[in-house]
Amino acid sequence: MLIVLQLYFSFHSNDRQTEEAPVLSDMAEVEDTLKRIQGINGVIGTIVVNAEGIPIKTTLDNSTTVQYAGLLHQLTMKARSTVRDIDPQNDLTFLRIRSKKHEIMVSTDKEYLLIVIQNPAE
Amino acid sequence: MSHTTVKQKRTALKVARSSKTLNVSSGVFRVNQSMTKTINPSFSGKSFSSGSDSKVLDKSLAQTPKHTVQVFDEHGQDITPHPLYNPDPGVLQPKQGKIFPAHEMSWTTMTDFPSVAFQTTNASFTGPFTRSFFGSASASRTSQTAESVTDETKDFIVKPDLSSSLTDVQTRREKVKEQVREDIMDRVVDCYLTETETIWLLDIPAVSVSVDSEDAEAVKERNNAYTELCKNRQGNDKYVERSMQTFNDAPKTKEVQSDSITMVDKAVMSTTWDMYDSFCNKSDVSENTVVSAEGNKATVPDSSSMSHLLNPSGTDQSMSVFSTTSTVSGSSTHLEKMTVLPVEEEPDLELILQSDKFKQDLAMMERVVLANIFQPKLAAYRQLPVIEGDEESWTEQTKNSLSPFLEHLWAFKCELTMGRNVSSMTWNKKNPDLLAVGYGQHEFKDQKPGLVCCWSLKNPTWPDRIFHCESGVTALDFSSCNANQLAVGMYDGTIAIYNVQTAEQTPITDSSDCANMHTCPVWQLRWVDHDTGLAGEEKGEMLISVSGDGRISKWIHYKGLECVDLMKLKSPNVTINRQQWNPKILSLAPGLCFDFHPNDSKIYLAGTEEGQIHKCSYSYNEQFLETYEAHTGPVYKVAWSPFCPDVFLSCSSDWTIYLWRQDLPKPVLGFSSGQKVVFDIMWSPHCATIFGVVREGKVEIWDLRVSSLDPTIVSLTSTGVNPTVLLFTPETDCVLVGDSEGHVTVYKLKNLPAGGSTQVETLEDVIWSTLSSQHTLGKTDGSA
Repeated sequence: MLIVLQLYFSFHSNDRQTEEAPVLSDMAEVEDTLKRIQGINGVIGTIVVNAEGIPIKTTLDNSTTVQYAGLLHQLTMKARSTVRDIDPQNDLTFLRIRSKKHEIMVSTDKEYLLIVIQNPAE
Repeated sequence: MSHTTVKQKRTALKVARSSKTLNVSSGVFRVNQSMTKTINPSFSGKSFSSGSDSKVLDKSLAQTPKHTVQVFDEHGQDITPHPLYNPDPGVLQPKQGKIFPAHEMSWTTMTDFPSVAFQTTNASFTGPFTRSFFGSASASRTSQTAESVTDETKDFIVKPDLSSSLTDVQTRREKVKEQVREDIMDRVVDCYLTETETIWLLDIPAVSVSVDSEDAEAVKERNNAYTELCKNRQGNDKYVERSMQTFNDAPKTKEVQSDSITMVDKAVMSTTWDMYDSFCNKSDVSENTVVSAEGNKATVPDSSSMSHLLNPSGTDQSMSVFSTTSTVSGSSTHLEKMTVLPVEEEPDLELILQSDKFKQDLAMMERVVLANIFQPKLAAYRQLPVIEGDEESWTEQTKNSLSPFLEHLWAFKCELTMGRNVSSMTWNKKNPDLLAVGYGQHEFKDQKPGLVCCWSLKNPTWPDRIFHCESGVTALDFSSCNANQLAVGMYDGTIAIYNVQTAEQTPITDSSDCANMHTCPVWQLRWVDHDTGLAGEEKGEMLISVSGDGRISKWIHYKGLECVDLMKLKSPNVTINRQQWNPKILSLAPGLCFDFHPNDSKIYLAGTEEGQIHKCSYSYNEQFLETYEAHTGPVYKVAWSPFCPDVFLSCSSDWTIYLWRQDLPKPVLGFSSGQKVVFDIMWSPHCATIFGVVREGKVEIWDLRVSSLDPTIVSLTSTGVNPTVLLFTPETDCVLVGDSEGHVTVYKLKNLPAGGSTQVETLEDVIWSTLSSQHTLGKTDGSA
């Protein structure tokens, strides 16, 4: 299985400078966005994991969710440790794993992990 | 016991082994000798002892030479180990004879000596005693036989050294030793004895006293008294024999059982970031524990190997622990906080989902996911090389056609915009990826609340900003100075300025309070930058609007919008025939479009509903500079050419498009293809000879280099859907088309003849040639 790891250290600066950053106002917006992401063609599942590795929101079945959450939580911690070992003031923001069949995208934060699994070939 | 066995075994003992035992046994003997004499310390080792013992051995060997052990292996071969030392009994006997008479007195005691010597490996108590006798005996004689003993001992010292190395040829060696002895005898050698790390001098004081010494008398008396005592012991009542028996108790086993000792492995990995975090958090230890609880949850990498306790009710003091098993990192401050904090699971979820960061991450994730899908299209849009995918149709399409065509990339559409008519589109001046689209009906009927969506190229499935307006949107423009300000003109004449940085639905300002607001739909808006500021006029950007009530107004944003009329578009009846101008009836022709000159921002064109195009000046608000009349229907769009300063295009609902030169009252060229209303035209920002046309049911791209009679590219839209707005992209070679179904489709211009320059000369040539052909043909109308 071919795995390509891409570590993003900073967000696209273009969008931040201008007025393009989208801002969602309340919980309904969050739900809407999550629904939209799930509805995109090729997206297999979306998981939101809290800081301890416990999935709090998911669109997949329980066993798969638990498996993804646990494994990706560990990998994210290792990746974050790597990034911060090199420079403690830096931090991990995004993690992308591309395999033969899927692409797993993890948006990381101290409080949570947002995991989206997509099949880019549709 | 051992005596007897040893005696029997005496003959059977291996000669080789004996040298070792004899070495050990005669240690004391040696020392005693050496104390009183000066003996070469190098020889005081084993060699001497073996020498002295060897004489005993020799004696034993001489007595019983025949009884030797023989070892046979399984094949019957004699593998008896040969002794290392085979002295010649015949030669040695006389020498032995020398020593033995010297020690005659102790000979009787010597009978025990061999046995004692052999058994010294096991018991050494009797050994020294007997040997001490021997030693004392020899000591008593040493003074007399000092020389001879030294000689002999030396003699024997020398011998074993040589014999130990060689087993044969004894006789020759004897002769050598004879000569050495003669030499040594005349020499006086000083010998010094010192202790080394492995050799010590053993000092056991003598228990025997010389007859000549001072306290010999006292010793003799004591000896006598002792012998008397021994004699009296037999029948004396003072001495009674008693015996005791010790009890051997039965052994008892006792068992003790203890808890199993569990072993726990604890590891701490100290990493760079961990130390950095601890250092940063050191100052936060004294803060509120509740706050630090959340901080604990946040520091994901600081995990310990304790098990996680889920406690949804949150009443007990459950510890917030992390159930990872991979790494354990220790942080003293962290562990302090860990102990006393109640943790609740419920608000955790809400907090996360509502945090701003989460929303941003969600939005970014959406874009990332979409980028995976739209990557080839976006790459084509941005004129980047496309990563090879699995899509076969993509490559087929590009290979087949060589003629120019519009390649469909994607369409901005979502459920919000379904069914709405796209009325205007504009690019953001600062961010070329941001597109504002206004949705509103053109016709009087079917009016519904308008919508303004700000789309980003990175997310074609959902707009980034959505603004709902009260009435249909008819005009849009982004400001150049403040790139976040979007001016929106509506069907009811209202002008609103929105700030697109936030998602607030209310505009910054609104013109509905203005007394001079437009009463008819605002058909076009433009932010115009008056760099070349007139004297007395304010510099900077101004919002100019044209509306159906015939006014072109300038709006100033100062505590609300206020407007100043730049021009009133008087209806043609008045202007043509000035004498008939009736001031009472001031009829204004509704203005539909306007365009400021790209180079000279004081000159602008205005198109009216009655088919006239007026050239006006900013400074004159009463009169037109010029009027161009050719259209017979409302002029929907006028556009100056961005490259040729004198050329402009106009389109109208009379199915025609005219190319004008501003100094000629009649159009130079006319373009028509079919009998369809032309909704919108736009010059290409890249090439001077290309412009795009949107007709009812068709999208056309005209290239005047190729042909001025027919469009170069014609793209038919699906039936029932009319494209309404056309927009070129300022940086790439794509064109956006908005239609009446709410879709904004992005097309890429493919296979258009590429020109190095902007082809300005070509355009001028075209115009010139047309004009000259017109002249030659005589005065004719512009082709319609």
